[in-house]
Amino acid sequence: MSDLEESKKLVSESRAARMKENRALLSPQDKDALIRRFHPDYKKEAYRTIRIGPNAGEQTVHELANLLEGESPVAGEKIALTPHHQVDLLIIGGGGAGATAALMAKAAGAKVLLATKLRLGDSNTVMAEGGMQVAVSAEDSPVRHFLDTLRGGYMKNDPMLLKTLVEEGPEVAKWLMDIGVLFDREADGNLSIRGGGGSSKPRLLRCKDYTGLELMRVLKDCVLNQQVELLEFSPIVELLTDGAGACTGAILKNLDNNQHIVVQAKTVLLATGGIGRLHIQGFPTSNHYGATADGLPIAYRAGAKLTLQDTFQYHPTGAVYPEPMAGILVTEAIRSVGAQLVNVKGERFINEMETRDAVASAVIRECAEGRGVETPAGRRGVWLDMPMVDIINGEGNLAHRFPNMLRQFSRYQIDIRKEPVLVYPTLHYQNGGIQINVDGESTIRNLFVAGEASGGIHGRNRLMGNSLLDIIVYGRRAGRAAAKRATEISPGTLTLQHLDRFHEAQKKAGVEPKAVSPMLFPDYAKKN
Amino acid sequence: MSHADSPSSLIRIEVDGAAYPVPAGITVIQAMWRIGRSMIHGVGCLGGVCGACPITYRLPDQLASKTGLACQTAVREGMAITFLPSDTSKKAIALLPKEAPTQKTLFQYYPETRRCTACRACSSVCPQEIDVMGGVRAAINGELSNVAEKFTSCVMCGLCAAVCEVQIKPHRVGMYARRLTGAFYPKEAAGLLNRIEEVRAGKYESAWSQLLSADEAALSNYCGSEEAAQKLAI
Repeated sequence: MSDLEESKKLVSESRAARMKENRALLSPQDKDALIRRFHPDYKKEAYRTIRIGPNAGEQTVHELANLLEGESPVAGEKIALTPHHQVDLLIIGGGGAGATAALMAKAAGAKVLLATKLRLGDSNTVMAEGGMQVAVSAEDSPVRHFLDTLRGGYMKNDPMLLKTLVEEGPEVAKWLMDIGVLFDREADGNLSIRGGGGSSKPRLLRCKDYTGLELMRVLKDCVLNQQVELLEFSPIVELLTDGAGACTGAILKNLDNNQHIVVQAKTVLLATGGIGRLHIQGFPTSNHYGATADGLPIAYRAGAKLTLQDTFQYHPTGAVYPEPMAGILVTEAIRSVGAQLVNVKGERFINEMETRDAVASAVIRECAEGRGVETPAGRRGVWLDMPMVDIINGEGNLAHRFPNMLRQFSRYQIDIRKEPVLVYPTLHYQNGGIQINVDGESTIRNLFVAGEASGGIHGRNRLMGNSLLDIIVYGRRAGRAAAKRATEISPGTLTLQHLDRFHEAQKKAGVEPKAVSPMLFPDYAKKN
Repeated sequence: MSHADSPSSLIRIEVDGAAYPVPAGITVIQAMWRIGRSMIHGVGCLGGVCGACPITYRLPDQLASKTGLACQTAVREGMAITFLPSDTSKKAIALLPKEAPTQKTLFQYYPETRRCTACRACSSVCPQEIDVMGGVRAAINGELSNVAEKFTSCVMCGLCAAVCEVQIKPHRVGMYARRLTGAFYPKEAAGLLNRIEEVRAGKYESAWSQLLSADEAALSNYCGSEEAAQKLAI
């Protein structure tokens, strides 16, 4: 029997004893020590100082710093800044935040153009499994939601952004239901809720383990019904500014014919999403193919300030086996209904409902100290004992609640009702991003940001279920605010003067760009 | 090892008629990268939920072609692969009605649904193994919530519509049935409505003013102690 099979046997043998084990949450001191020792955010050699721009002198990971200090793809190109499109609001990104903003702006009467790198809906939103946090039960409240999120974010959340997030939660849940989102319900009609790591009360609304897919399907359908003008396969490559500090449009690139598209817009909204495909510190990722942080270097070059750009979320349970599934998420919700994390010896090593950063750190610790399990491809991981879900909640429960998980593993002849799977942290979320106010406006006038590209709401660690809420609450707010602003101003002049200033700063600081940014796609194709 | 996985051995696949050696045990998308194709179309979430990467493929020992999602299908010896464009079906501008839907609401926008000949082609191509035809039949019978339930895991790849001989768009019918079911859910979510009222009535205003005027030490205290949190009357 292989080591892997032998260890798997230990998992099933220790199950009965583990089920009785009551493991307390870590004290704040122990949790802090664990994270400082093992969390990738504390790995000094992975970080460097940003040398130019609004966050000069601050730290971030090499992969992002290289993009922030990178060269614009339009530098040195002669592009006539004569607009092909003239609109009130240009939205960049067709995920949950971008689609929501488009609906709000369109309803407010704005002329909206939505441009996106792949297709409308291609985003991390569609992949979100666990749910959306909204305080709906009688023993819960938005204030509790606030305190839980602040605690989870190490008190580094912007309190006003966070208050707005949790307070508007119930209202946006109602809005989603009104446009036809089908959340799981109880027999009495109430929304079915579940607990999540770091949350003191159950408040996860969900649609089985397809919550993000459900939201995105409906939002996309609405955007198509409203006939919002779309440019697919047309990512942003540079912003346009008026030379006096305001954003006035953008240059896009049509990926099918490589032509530039110049858009004059009274307001621009970046909803460009996350960062996973940068594979920070070599981690696999749960993110979609286009999650290459495009909005960050683009906004940064134009002078927008970032916040908490040094902190990332490594989801504790990314699959490591079979090899084609490496990085794919196994939802946290599966732990909230009983699945335990177990090391090579069949022992539990952490309370599974700690916050994601603590659980991820504990998994890394087990593997670093020789208590992990090695896969045939050389990856390391620990067991996630999923058969416990049915043992605790009754046969059929896992299949009913997690059909997506069950199907994904069954494609590789793994039945998660019967056997544990191997997991290791996977790069999941960018905790920080472009600084915004409660209207989603960045530090650059008329440049709005919503969703994962923005920063400040989640502090240094996002709680499960708060990003689906974030994209809807702030997608709505930014969409409305950008549309309103557009009624108050005239179209601005189109220049690339911010690039000239950026180049001067590069020269002055002696920065040789190491990359062209935005990256747009990860480079996976084998060179022949 | 109960699950065969030997990444070192090479197998041959065929893409657009040309043969390539690729490692066994990888997905079709990963194989595309291995043969030097940088994908833009035909790739999306890489997690089996966005429907961007439908393919059709033929195996050497089989007569019939199969369908799947490229990010979820492992390469096999002799597999001949063709990428299909993701959902090209026509979408009706199907707004939600003001009044609760009737059996006819769906047919207003998707009248062809009633022409189903029960050939089962739609069910046979679904990468999510949805009982697509059952969903279409349920739609014809006006069982909206049944349709909604069946299409829960639909990734909108559009393969079902592509093979329908009478031009039904089952995934769009499913989508619309889901939206109708959600928007006209027969029972109220009382807890949610109550919470919205409480927020509107200003129930949490005093807690917010205390929290937003608190310094970091005071905030820390609220976060760290249930007793302190209770004082906010939450």
